[in-house]
Amino acid sequence: MKQNASKAGGPNKLTKGLKNWNTFLVIVLVLEFVIFGAANERFLRIPLLLLSVNDFISICIISLFVTFVMITGGIDIQAGSIVGLTSIVIGVTWQDFGLPIWAAVALAVAVAALCGALSGFFIAYCRVQAMVITLGGSFLYSGIALLVSTLSSTESYQGISGFPDSFKFITSFKLFDLIPMQLVIFAVLVVIAYLLLHVSKYGRQVFLVGVNQDAAEFSGINSKLVILSTYVLSGISAAIAGIVLTSYLGTAKSDLGDTLTMNIITACVLGGTLSTGGKGSVIGTALASIIIGIMRFGMPLCFDVNTQYLDIPIGILLIVVVVGRAMVNKPRTAAILAGLKNKFTGAKA
Amino acid sequence: MTAIKRLLKVRELSSLLFLIALFVIVSIINPSFASSENISACFNSSVVYMLVAVGMGFAVIVGEIDVSVGSNLGFVATVVGSMLRDGENWLLAFAVGILIGAAIGLFNGWGVSIMGVPSLIFTLGTNGILRGAMYVYSGGAWVENLPKAFKDFSSVNLVGDLTVYCCGCIILVAVIHLLLTKTRRGRYFTAVGDNPNGAVLVGISAVWTKVAAYIICGVMSALAGIIFCSRIGFITSTSGNGYEMKAVAACVLGGISLSGGVGSVVGAAIGSVIMSSISYLLVFMGFSSNYDNAITGIILIVIVVTDSLMQYRQSVRNRHERLSARTAGTVEGGASK
Repeated sequence: MKQNASKAGGPNKLTKGLKNWNTFLVIVLVLEFVIFGAANERFLRIPLLLLSVNDFISICIISLFVTFVMITGGIDIQAGSIVGLTSIVIGVTWQDFGLPIWAAVALAVAVAALCGALSGFFIAYCRVQAMVITLGGSFLYSGIALLVSTLSSTESYQGISGFPDSFKFITSFKLFDLIPMQLVIFAVLVVIAYLLLHVSKYGRQVFLVGVNQDAAEFSGINSKLVILSTYVLSGISAAIAGIVLTSYLGTAKSDLGDTLTMNIITACVLGGTLSTGGKGSVIGTALASIIIGIMRFGMPLCFDVNTQYLDIPIGILLIVVVVGRAMVNKPRTAAILAGLKNKFTGAKA
Repeated sequence: MTAIKRLLKVRELSSLLFLIALFVIVSIINPSFASSENISACFNSSVVYMLVAVGMGFAVIVGEIDVSVGSNLGFVATVVGSMLRDGENWLLAFAVGILIGAAIGLFNGWGVSIMGVPSLIFTLGTNGILRGAMYVYSGGAWVENLPKAFKDFSSVNLVGDLTVYCCGCIILVAVIHLLLTKTRRGRYFTAVGDNPNGAVLVGISAVWTKVAAYIICGVMSALAGIIFCSRIGFITSTSGNGYEMKAVAACVLGGISLSGGVGSVVGAAIGSVIMSSISYLLVFMGFSSNYDNAITGIILIVIVVTDSLMQYRQSVRNRHERLSARTAGTVEGGASK
């Protein structure tokens, strides 16, 4: 009897561990390191690995806060265009309007927050679907970015460059001569997002609004304001990504974030965020975005995959994850899985 | 009066009025626009968008979305384009293209409808895979040197200044619209989009209706891809990028509700004409094409916000009417007791 109980406890713990999505993500991340490391030892060189962060840090930063939006049941596909808008606003106000660089940066963040607030207002207060408004927003903000770039004396395809060193310092500085500043920024943002979402009262409100907006409203939460605030947060995070990207590249361009959307949504979904709202975690999203980033870095380095092919593995990853999760939740497959488990444990016993 | 009110409630009609108003305003600002040549050009240039938007319309009417149409278009265009370039039989190339489109649609339908994955996420994944597959197939190179006869066919006029493609497309849309509204099976789509559970209760398979909608969407994008080859004459590795968003925008402009069940393919077609005419009209109004995206975004947001506010007010009014009717009934009932 006792033996039986302990035996039953074994697989139970195992399945519980596997069900914990973050554990699964950590395993995937470790697997990535093992596979890429085995394929090409250059992959494991720490400086190179840390340098690769620049290629995907904006995905990591933005997806953290798009998670908030998705938890409330919305979606944000405008973040990419806000990245370009912040970049060009910094460039134009600094170069052509003669603002000091930090004032330009502050202005860019304010503009991004305003963009997020505008979309958030329409979504929360006018009850329009988030998808449509952020779609319109992505047209509008990238269009505005293009218009702002025409204010500049520099041709838009060249990009505005020649930023002062203090601005480039954001990305050239290395903590302990090793860890690039971008990673530090990302780590700080993870902590902030974690505290906001999982510790503070605000985070509980975000979750409750996502689970049931009416219930949230009845329990005295200003649900519309909460929804609006998530879009402001994602706008600000896009601005931070735009600043980091502009500082790293040394040029301000209006089309910087054009290709980010799919990666951001993939990171959120892979991180365990439910696109219908009510579920998600900052740690999961952070892990997932790093998995995607490492994949984008490792595939070309170790398997000679053309960087333009990278959409394939990321698309497959997204589909496999969502289909896999849907399958596990289907009663029929769940029954088959349980049967398999019984057979397995039965045969073992 | 009531007839006018009822007409105003036909959502496609208000987008048609919007399109006509747009043409009239531009003609007033710049009289040289008002020629059949220019207006036909607006319709001719919208053919590819129209097909994609009508396909997307199916997905949206059943209450889902398909953001893989752009790369579907690009992939089919790449495959068909290179087959034509290599001197394959035209019909074979077209058949292959349409089969690919149908297969993509079937895959999307499987994931979204049978597996129950949220449609935006699943088709986003398909979009990535197809975009990558396009690079792999073409090796990143442009597909050029298509047969001249094939390219020239795109500028053959059929009626007035309208090309063969444009006329064919309009006829196709009309046929699809009639099938959707007049046949039993056609109405399944709206029924499923309006209330999937209700549709299941009256014996309609919501799952297979959605799969069918996705297959139609895939086939329409494939058709658009083939016409893209003919009209543009070359395919780059980014061809078809962004079509998905413009198609969604066209559907919304044409009065299709993204929550499903409301709207028609005619609306999607009109919306696509609006979308593709904007940059053309801007030129006549003396703006640079830099304003293109910003104005598209503003029009899209203004239209959906007004629509949503009007719908909300309508629903509140309906509720009040129901409530007052009910209270009136109870008062009467109380009096008779």
